[in-house]
Amino acid sequence: MPGYTSINAKMVQVPIGHGQDVYSRRGSMLAYVGNVDFAPTVTDGQGIGGAIGRRMAGESVPMMHVTGQGTAMFGHAGLYVHVIELTGDTLYIEADRLLLYDATLQKGTMFLGEQGGARGVIRGAVSGQGLFTTTLVGRGSCAVISHGGVIELPITPQRPIHVDPQAYVAHRGQVDNTLTTAMGLRDMIGRGSGEGFQLRLTGTGTVYVQASERKV
Amino acid sequence: MTSTTFNAATLPANDNVNPYAFSVDLNGQWFTQKGKMIAYYGQIRFQALSAGPLDMLVAESFHSPLYAHDWIVAEGQGKLLLADRGFDINSYDLDKGNLTIRAANLLAFEPGLELKQSIIPGFLTLIGTGRFVAASNGPVHFVEPPIRVDPQALLGWADCPSPCHHYDHGYVRGVLGAARMMFGVGGTSGEEHQFDFTGEGTVLIQSSEHVTSSDAMLRELEGQIGMLGVPGLRQLHGTIAQRLAAEQQH
Repeated sequence: MPGYTSINAKMVQVPIGHGQDVYSRRGSMLAYVGNVDFAPTVTDGQGIGGAIGRRMAGESVPMMHVTGQGTAMFGHAGLYVHVIELTGDTLYIEADRLLLYDATLQKGTMFLGEQGGARGVIRGAVSGQGLFTTTLVGRGSCAVISHGGVIELPITPQRPIHVDPQAYVAHRGQVDNTLTTAMGLRDMIGRGSGEGFQLRLTGTGTVYVQASERKV
Repeated sequence: MTSTTFNAATLPANDNVNPYAFSVDLNGQWFTQKGKMIAYYGQIRFQALSAGPLDMLVAESFHSPLYAHDWIVAEGQGKLLLADRGFDINSYDLDKGNLTIRAANLLAFEPGLELKQSIIPGFLTLIGTGRFVAASNGPVHFVEPPIRVDPQALLGWADCPSPCHHYDHGYVRGVLGAARMMFGVGGTSGEEHQFDFTGEGTVLIQSSEHVTSSDAMLRELEGQIGMLGVPGLRQLHGTIAQRLAAEQQH
């Protein structure tokens, strides 16, 4: 199955066909050739239970189901688009960063406490990303959006990595993420460095970081 | 990464300084959109189109009263630097050709070209021979028809017939679709409306941008509202409310 083609840093082209349908963020289609249909969906192929769960978790960005026969191009608000291939592993991503993904991928919602324990909960609350994150499992491709492009940083057991929570986009692999604080007296009196909170990722995997601290 | 320090002599002549800035080697007159000049070397005057001595030039090259007060004429000799919102800047050469482009994204053009309003609101057509400079949100992607393009992602088109509107409501068919229509379940995909291009030519696409509030387009629409009458105005009121809700959702 031919994958996603990056036209340039901000646009991606995807073949659509039988068994090659995708889910994409609503309103992110730029152009298409052929007979391609765009239908709003609330379940994202997950069933109604998943949809309700996601809505409750606040990880719900309106998506649409793209089917038919042809080629479609996607992009969103001039943000950078990065294609990630999944080969049976799991991608953890903020819902609003997800531009599109193959319908062959299983989308789910994960409670941050499962991975990071109580600290995961604190992390979600402090970084403003909520207590839940979206997961994609399976074989296929997905595309994520970011300000200024993403860089992939490897995580190894010997080298944990610290990331600004606002610059964090996604991660994959066997990774524990916890929020660390470097708060000191200076922060209390408003003379801090502005880098009081960091996401600490340990284990084996990859983290995707954007070149900006802006949200989508 | 090294950065070069330019001076009047080393600035590129009619070429990009970097992907986001363009240097015009001015020797005579160029039309430029207001507010897109970031710097210049030399003796350059900027005059409103209404200036008396420009009458002849405007009459020959600028056929759009609607946009007249968004544009000025740069006159003189020197290097003129143009940029826009950090967008990618490209220059295009036309040889007895025509190209239509989103009005807000056209930065400047040589008087050898004639500017006219396109049938599609918010777009301008350039006809003739000469060079112009335009901005795009990310690099421009050139495609050939047949293709359907999201209005917000359309930058322009060349040589092909004007597009028509394409409306796609395939998903409202069937039982589920009917339920969607009746109860508003699931919302809309935001992709019901495209510009449909057919025939020979080239279509220019960019990553969609939040359409900059274009005064000209607003004036154009306002000018036509008077013809609607009370029922039409009432309906328009509803449409605007709906659209507003949809935009705020995205």
